[in-house]
Amino acid sequence: MESGSVLETIGQEIVGVMAPVSVCMLLVVLLVYTVYNPSSSADAATSIRTAANLVYMESPTDSTAQKLEGAILNAVVFVVIITLVTFLLVLLYYYRFNNFLIYYTRFSVFMIFSAMGSSILISVVQRFSIPIDAVTFYFFLFNFTVLGTLSVFSNGIPIIVKQSTMVMLGIIVAAWFSRLPEWTTWVVLVALALYDLAAVLAPGGPLKMLVELASSRDEELPALVYESRPNVGRNSVARDSSLGLFIEAGLGMSSDNNSNNNNNQNGSVELQELLRNGGRDNAIEVQEREHLVIAVDDDDERTSRAEIEEVREEAGEMAPLMERQSHPNGSGNSGRVDNSRQGIEMEDLNPRGIKLGMGDFIFYSVLVGRAAMYDLMTVYACYLAIISGLGCTLILLAVCRHALPALPISISLGVIFYFLTRLFMEPFVVGASTNLMMF
Amino acid sequence: MTVAAGIGYALLALGPSLSLFVAVISRKPFLTLTLLSSTLVWLMSLIALSAVWRAFLPFKTAIWWPYVLLLLSSVALQEVLRLFLWRVYKRMEEMLDAFADRVSKPRLFITDKMQIALAGGMGHGVAHAVFFCISLLTPAFGPATYYVEKCSQIPFFLVSAIIALAFVTIHTFSMVIAFNGYSEGNKKDQYFAPVVHLASGMFTLINLASGGCVVGIPLLYVMAIATLLHCGKTVWKRLTENRSRETNLQ
Repeated sequence: MESGSVLETIGQEIVGVMAPVSVCMLLVVLLVYTVYNPSSSADAATSIRTAANLVYMESPTDSTAQKLEGAILNAVVFVVIITLVTFLLVLLYYYRFNNFLIYYTRFSVFMIFSAMGSSILISVVQRFSIPIDAVTFYFFLFNFTVLGTLSVFSNGIPIIVKQSTMVMLGIIVAAWFSRLPEWTTWVVLVALALYDLAAVLAPGGPLKMLVELASSRDEELPALVYESRPNVGRNSVARDSSLGLFIEAGLGMSSDNNSNNNNNQNGSVELQELLRNGGRDNAIEVQEREHLVIAVDDDDERTSRAEIEEVREEAGEMAPLMERQSHPNGSGNSGRVDNSRQGIEMEDLNPRGIKLGMGDFIFYSVLVGRAAMYDLMTVYACYLAIISGLGCTLILLAVCRHALPALPISISLGVIFYFLTRLFMEPFVVGASTNLMMF
Repeated sequence: MTVAAGIGYALLALGPSLSLFVAVISRKPFLTLTLLSSTLVWLMSLIALSAVWRAFLPFKTAIWWPYVLLLLSSVALQEVLRLFLWRVYKRMEEMLDAFADRVSKPRLFITDKMQIALAGGMGHGVAHAVFFCISLLTPAFGPATYYVEKCSQIPFFLVSAIIALAFVTIHTFSMVIAFNGYSEGNKKDQYFAPVVHLASGMFTLINLASGGCVVGIPLLYVMAIATLLHCGKTVWKRLTENRSRETNLQ
């Protein structure tokens, strides 16, 4: 009966991005909560050395000033490395080393799944004492890895497989990063948010250059991005542009007295706006990747400490969310009154959805995973903060119509809510509810 | 076994909302967004409250009047918030209608409006359950359980889950009632939500007395059922009115 309700069309693209992010965060929290929780298992204390803590290893006995100083140093080094690698990537892309980039990305996906994934799987097996023999384990791991590697940058794979591979990748890397020491994690997250802001928005920022380069060549970036594509064609009317239109409708409502003839001359303006929306596809692309050099120092598996394995890992990166501008098709000029036809045309022409960089997945999940080490309450607060930050970013994207960084709003909200919850809310709520007093 | 108990508590508190979510809300993305933002608003109100009350906590348990003050301030803030949500919703409704005109779709149906109210209310309810019940459940997954001295008959987790269920029901459906009241200018419905909220908050004060939860929780459920019945009545009335108006038009 409500087949025509507008409630079904608005926000589809937002929910399409939020759902996988939520799944990723949920799984990371479960993993951190059961496997890496310091109180629940003893062997979780193995500290790792990655590019994010090259300078300083935190130890619980250090003073606060020492921890802060070390954490800031770590964050600076980390961001500098990322910046250098991103510039290198831009350079490679500029000189069209596309195949190199693609194969390198495949290789690093393979390494993430096989090395880091197996290490995480092993700790899960140990934690729950799952009876499994080595042959079966490696058989499954190998199959899984190969499938994951193949599904990157190939067109023959169903989108759902691609999407779940990306989510798995995010989970693995995030679980890995959530083993960083506490202070370093917070400072690195904040530093990354700032870096993301600069790299996407500042003139000459590496990600901005990368995105512009890709859209001027009109090709896909060889980077790890999550692509949300509406996979049900149930409701094609104005799907791609519904958010933008909705916001424009809202802005027109609120800034009525500005009289930017939005509401006055309905017919013509409406046409123009539809045209504008039809010409672009609302794709948000996030592309960027960065290569982190992670040196894994695992004491438990290898006997010799000196054996340091370098996993070159590429955490596709934080979201320059962007809209790719495609050429408006000529047929649209005649009569775009029939919205449903237009919607279908748009879908045929631009089968692209919103894209979100793997780095966003990873660092959102790292924040939530870190929150999970304190308490469940902070997890919920951080989850809500991050999701609402993502929602704000997507709405901003519909307004600004160019690539946007997805980390800053979410991460700053998440960090603020974490500390507010930890300092204020928890004593209050625990005090009230242990007295069975609620409201 | 303990994991089963923990999941059981969580489902007891949130099971009905979960099924409501799957059946109604998740079908329409806009409702999901409403739910999330309403949850966030509630969380922010809770943080603001706790920032104010943080300095005075913990109370000495012998005195009860600070608790009354705390409850009064909390309920007052949340009712102000409800008014604020209503304002935001009115703006949103205009935007939605403008959007619907633009894409030449029908404007909001009356059921749509009520579903938005339901999602907003559920956001409040879910936030309540999550922060007052689910987030304290961590120990319940472990090997032991915990009893509060004042209510020693049943485990603390079970009591808090039961109370949370009542509050989820009250928050969810009183939002529908309040929004109906605002849109129709019906004074009785407008005051229904604050009164019920305040009364049920006050009933939990009975739990402060030793063994008080035997009395307090049934009273709380009386409020919850009253809210449910009143909501059903209001919605039914509006739907039938609407239908008769439509048939008159035709």
